[in-house]
Amino acid sequence: MIPALLALVLAAGDPCAPVDVAASSDPATATLYRRAGEAERAAGSRETAIVAFREAAALDPADVVSRQALGALCAEGVPPGAPDAFAEGQRRMSAGDLKGAAESFAGARRAGDRSAALLEGVCRYRLGDDVAAQAALGEAEAAPEHRDLARFYLGLLALRGGRSAQASALFDASAASPGVATMAATLSRLARRDGSLVIGFEARTGVDTNVSLASHGGSTSASGGGMMGGGSMGSSGAFMNGDGLYDLALSALWRPLGPSGPYLRGIGSVRRYFKLDGYDLAAGEAAAGWQWARAGHGLLGEYAFGDQRFGGAPYLTAHRLLGTGWVGTGDWTWSAAYVARLEDYATAYQPFTGVVQRAEVKAAWTFQPQAWAALRYGYTHDAAHVGIASYDEQGPRVELHAVFTPTFRAGLEAGLAWRQYAAFDATLGLKRSDAALDGALLFEWDLGTAWTLRAALEGREVRSSAPSASYSKLLPTLGIAWTKGL
Amino acid sequence: MSPSGLVLCASLILVAGGPGADEHVLAGAHAFREARYAEALVEFRVAQALGSRESGDYAGATLVKLERPLEAIEAFGGLDGPDRDALTDYYRAVAAHDARLYLAADRLLAAVGDRSGPKIAEQAAQLRERIAAALAGAPAPAAIDWYLAQCAEERDLGRAILSRAYCREAAAQALRRSDHYRLAEAQAGATGARP
Repeated sequence: MIPALLALVLAAGDPCAPVDVAASSDPATATLYRRAGEAERAAGSRETAIVAFREAAALDPADVVSRQALGALCAEGVPPGAPDAFAEGQRRMSAGDLKGAAESFAGARRAGDRSAALLEGVCRYRLGDDVAAQAALGEAEAAPEHRDLARFYLGLLALRGGRSAQASALFDASAASPGVATMAATLSRLARRDGSLVIGFEARTGVDTNVSLASHGGSTSASGGGMMGGGSMGSSGAFMNGDGLYDLALSALWRPLGPSGPYLRGIGSVRRYFKLDGYDLAAGEAAAGWQWARAGHGLLGEYAFGDQRFGGAPYLTAHRLLGTGWVGTGDWTWSAAYVARLEDYATAYQPFTGVVQRAEVKAAWTFQPQAWAALRYGYTHDAAHVGIASYDEQGPRVELHAVFTPTFRAGLEAGLAWRQYAAFDATLGLKRSDAALDGALLFEWDLGTAWTLRAALEGREVRSSAPSASYSKLLPTLGIAWTKGL
Repeated sequence: MSPSGLVLCASLILVAGGPGADEHVLAGAHAFREARYAEALVEFRVAQALGSRESGDYAGATLVKLERPLEAIEAFGGLDGPDRDALTDYYRAVAAHDARLYLAADRLLAAVGDRSGPKIAEQAAQLRERIAAALAGAPAPAAIDWYLAQCAEERDLGRAILSRAYCREAAAQALRRSDHYRLAEAQAGATGARP
């Protein structure tokens, strides 16, 4: 008796043990169990299907279908990956299947695995499923060993949702973890400078070694050279064209719905030279646009109107249309942009009036968590009213940026551009073409949550087929900026 | 077994269906009480096939225990209401929560507290706290995009109840944004039309 009872208990614990036939056959009810088993099998629920097929086989010894299904399910054993959803999630995540990984991690999370909750949250964040990411990361945050990283990603979610104050607090809380401390501190500062309304002010001073773009040989001509060249300052060369300067700029950005949605933007700036005040510049621009941003991709469209004064006199008004889009694939971000600018110059500069169009493609590679490089290539077509002012220009530009400490960043940029003018310039006696090399070295130190000290060295070298249009210049500057998000 | 499970079993015994179905409902209740949820589900499915209308809710509760929230919502016949007993509404809310239908879950849970015992009321309150945390701030457009994608996916799979549930959630989430992002599409989908 005891062995028989023991066998019954063991059989009850093993769903694939031999089926005991019921005392009385009931094919009709067996059919219902079989159907339930088939439905469960179709739903992918092996355990429930086995229970149903066992009942069917017990009630109807002639039910070959149920017995075969039971045998097949038991022979399958445990489906691959099922006993370790976490490992399956890791495998899928490594393979780039974020959606599949998130589902696998979700299974492990429901079983109480907080590590799975963290990784599910990361996957959901990268997929743009912010609500689910919030829930998963909220569970991971409860685990002390995952708290910092969970808060870091919760901060990213808050930042993406336009909740900058919450984001900043979460980044600060996560900065205790050495693994994310630098990034969290950087993002915390950025979050404090983000918000529905962002206002900024910058002042800088420096030296422009060649204000009037005088040629290498000391010609009095300016960059335009020939008929369109200025040269009105009458300088005797680049050395004599050097002057100190200061810039002031005020900007505001209003995004009522956060980073994704409509926005208004405005900026006003002035540049004053200490001696060569004929080259002073004042500019203002107002823009309205819409940014549609998702996880890893987005689109932006913008209209802007700008007005510039040169040497204290009206110079240029322009309407500008901008369209750009970007998409991220792993460590790479690919983007493209198009700008059309309808320029209307003041009377003295009327020949330059026309339409400037520029198209640009860019690939950016984040090769370290806090360092990225980019290569872009642009093409510009300037259709000015007068042919000798019209040109086509194209060339690449490389960028390298890195965050070295939470408060110090640096960047290096260099670009080449080849410009071909559209018409023969009778004054120069040639059809002009230029090659330009641009370079910039940038440093930024954060002095607090809102203040940043900036140092830059910019340079430009232009070689033209018209000697009088060849020039070089350097522009070292030191400035301070204040940015606040509200 | 949790107190909520005991209450469910008691209610099952009281409302078991007609001849033929009853024994399966009771067998399911017995298995549910002992946390043998696979067996409970099979019994409730058989009871359903024999005409027990209540077994849909019981199967739904069992599917919640089996962590199959999408099928649970289908078994419950959707997330309308609250219009069931407090315990069933609680299980429907858990299914909704697990399917990330947070606003639907919150709506159901809000009505559970006054009608249930203290234990369920406490669990409902805890779940509502988690939902409130998940719903802090206005939803990002990406979240609404996700709900609408789920709506379309479930519709394509022929699961109309789930499809409508996701579109309703999308509409409810869209109303939490000042720009009512994709609200019209969500409302159209919630009525069964293609969003």
